[in-house]
Amino acid sequence: MSLERFLTQVVPVRQKLYRFAFRLLGNEEDAQDITQDALMKVWGMQEKMAELQNMEAWCMRITRNLALDKIKSRKYRLSDDLDRAGEVPAIHQQSPHAVAEQNDVMGKVHVAINALPEKYRTILQLRDIDGLSYQEIADVLDIDMNDVKVNLHRARKSVREKLQNLQVYGL
Amino acid sequence: MDYKWISDLLDKYWEGETTLEEEATLRDFFSVPHADLPEALQEAAPLFQYFKVEAAKEWEVPPVTLPVTTPVVKLSPLRHWMKYAAVALVAVGIGYALKQQQVRKQDAAIALRQQEMNDPQKALDETKKALQLLARNLNKGTAKMQKLAYFNEATSLVEGKND
Repeated sequence: MSLERFLTQVVPVRQKLYRFAFRLLGNEEDAQDITQDALMKVWGMQEKMAELQNMEAWCMRITRNLALDKIKSRKYRLSDDLDRAGEVPAIHQQSPHAVAEQNDVMGKVHVAINALPEKYRTILQLRDIDGLSYQEIADVLDIDMNDVKVNLHRARKSVREKLQNLQVYGL
Repeated sequence: MDYKWISDLLDKYWEGETTLEEEATLRDFFSVPHADLPEALQEAAPLFQYFKVEAAKEWEVPPVTLPVTTPVVKLSPLRHWMKYAAVALVAVGIGYALKQQQVRKQDAAIALRQQEMNDPQKALDETKKALQLLARNLNKGTAKMQKLAYFNEATSLVEGKND
């Protein structure tokens, strides 16, 4: 892959990759690192580019895998710290912005969506926010298209239940 | 106002059967406030408003830092020829030294033997030793021959009697 091809086909999707990474990781710094790492990985796998049918989905898949690795390592780090610290109060890593968000309805929707399992949440966001087709989502997550439909249905159902609770009980 | 069409569309949405266009319609519908919205639609309004806001959000992405590619310089395998030459020279030197030492040892052994043979007393002793060894072995043979002679004599006597 030439530099020109990389600049015209891969670099323009970096905004999407960054947004995707941010949603998975929840902070700007990590999202920037993962986006950069993903682009470097794509650059490093130049010979594979010719075989690809959907380069954007491939880039997003790489981003997701890197982000999930990061989350895993972060969890390990956190559990190490907790082991060392002994009995300490639970750590709430929410920014003041996130806390403020929770106070309004939109914030509660955000929380409801973020409380979903990672797979459900990602599928819901890719479909309802990014407007990806079922096939594109299947390509990004490397799963069957029927799985996408089933998981999307479950994700929406779960969010609906949460919103109904919100409406009725104000939870 | 008739909300049936949007209510049907929403039901389709919850079932996961809407198209991308229909989902866009739902987002657009809920993005503006509506009077007398039924409860079933009210519960969904924040969700679609959230989707609309999130989709419109602009993200500041840092510029990409591409790795600097330096041209690959091919190094000649004979780049360290002086090292190889020095190793070869040392090996040849050691080999030559070992061979020379062996030759000197052989020469010394031959010279020592020659020196021993030049001494008449030592030469006499060596000769005596060799002759004594010969004599011992010859005597062994003579004793056996004598026994054989007796046997032959007895045989001829017996044969003479029979004749």
